[in-house]
Amino acid sequence: MKRPIPLTLTVSLLILVVSLLVAETLTVKVQSTSLHNTPKFYAPTVQSLSAGDKVEKISAQGGWIQVRTSGGAVGWVHSSAVEVPKFDLLASNKGLKTQASASEVALAGKGFNKQVEESYRAKHKEVSFAWVDRMLQIKIAAAQVEEFMKKGKLGEFGGGK
Amino acid sequence: MNGLRHMAVFSAAFLASLILTSCSAVQQGTDILAGTGQISASDQQSIIKTSQAVSATFSQITEEQEYYIGRSVAALILAQYPAYDNAALNTYINTLGQTIVYSSDRPEIYAGYHFLVLATDEVNALSAPGGFIFISKGLVRRCKNEEMLASVLAHEVGHVCSKHGLQAIKKSRLVDAFRVIGTEAARRYGPEELAQLTTAFEGVLGDVFETLVVRGYDRKYEYEADDLAVKFDAAVGYAPKGLTDFLQTMIGDSTAASGKGWFKTHPSAEQRLEKVKNRIAALSSVPSEASVRTKRFEQSVAGLN
Repeated sequence: MKRPIPLTLTVSLLILVVSLLVAETLTVKVQSTSLHNTPKFYAPTVQSLSAGDKVEKISAQGGWIQVRTSGGAVGWVHSSAVEVPKFDLLASNKGLKTQASASEVALAGKGFNKQVEESYRAKHKEVSFAWVDRMLQIKIAAAQVEEFMKKGKLGEFGGGK
Repeated sequence: MNGLRHMAVFSAAFLASLILTSCSAVQQGTDILAGTGQISASDQQSIIKTSQAVSATFSQITEEQEYYIGRSVAALILAQYPAYDNAALNTYINTLGQTIVYSSDRPEIYAGYHFLVLATDEVNALSAPGGFIFISKGLVRRCKNEEMLASVLAHEVGHVCSKHGLQAIKKSRLVDAFRVIGTEAARRYGPEELAQLTTAFEGVLGDVFETLVVRGYDRKYEYEADDLAVKFDAAVGYAPKGLTDFLQTMIGDSTAASGKGWFKTHPSAEQRLEKVKNRIAALSSVPSEASVRTKRFEQSVAGLN
């Protein structure tokens, strides 16, 4: 006769599996970013990602994480663009920073948001945001940076290292 | 039968211990009190929210909120100093800045990094949270090559990476703001909550602006930003000598006596120079200057009036 698997074991295994799975899911926390085919900002883009998109971690290298999207696309994102896993059971040992960043997604759109800025601007009509918005329009493509680095012999295009 | 019950109790305890590892002591405490009927569930919730608000720190400010704080701080800086409307120069500064950002500790922030030259002869550089970085015309003019300009921008990127601007925010503002955030499930606030948040927001902007423009950062943050500038310079391939060369120009500067801009908000150049030299000496390999970069720098700033 087969002995039933003890409930304790089942529960702990289940928790282990769930926590491992959850720990591998990352959420994009910046407005938009790109999935690159190699761990470099100016590497070709596999696809774009937006705030709140969930990706599955495959591996890590330097500051980069190789991920898989829900659609199955595989590529690299920089670690600063994604949220630390939500249910990291070790987080409590890592201090506030990790715990706090875990609430990033839950707090999306809350607190100091567009509505609060509008309310502030209604009260302070003398403060102009025209140049702030123009600043945001200045966008430097990754290819421009690559060209700038090449011509300036910087990074991997440098003579020495 | 008894054995099964033990097992159930044990597994419940195991589950509870796992859950508790990720909860605060307050949560545990209120759970116990709520369990014994000593406090109601709503009391328990409000105690937890209050404790979250009291433990408020700058690190709990989300990327998106940092962006909104930064936008308004940037607007306040631009109310003080007009923008230098020179598309070619601003493109050059942004391309150079972005090159440093790619090699920084925090290349991705909510809406990216953006750089702008300010139309003032005062020597100054400012970085608002959320990656809004300003550099005065007076400072650009003082730079002799791309390495010097890169080092100044790297110092500012360092402030943003380490969230130094956000650390200027008084805890009480965050306590007030987080109290509202904690009680509201909605992302659209009612008039009362909005008024409270707007007041907290005004306070936050005042704290950050005062620190950036009037009082200056704590010295330790300036030294940290210098450290990061050397690190980022070396990572990109810029000669970190750019920073020592720049600091050298600040020593014995006659405008220093006026105590305006950079001179008012930064530790003395001599003190910084000393520390930066030590930091450079500790690098495993030190990049050197390249004439091709100096040439393009000269071309880019040629039209500066």
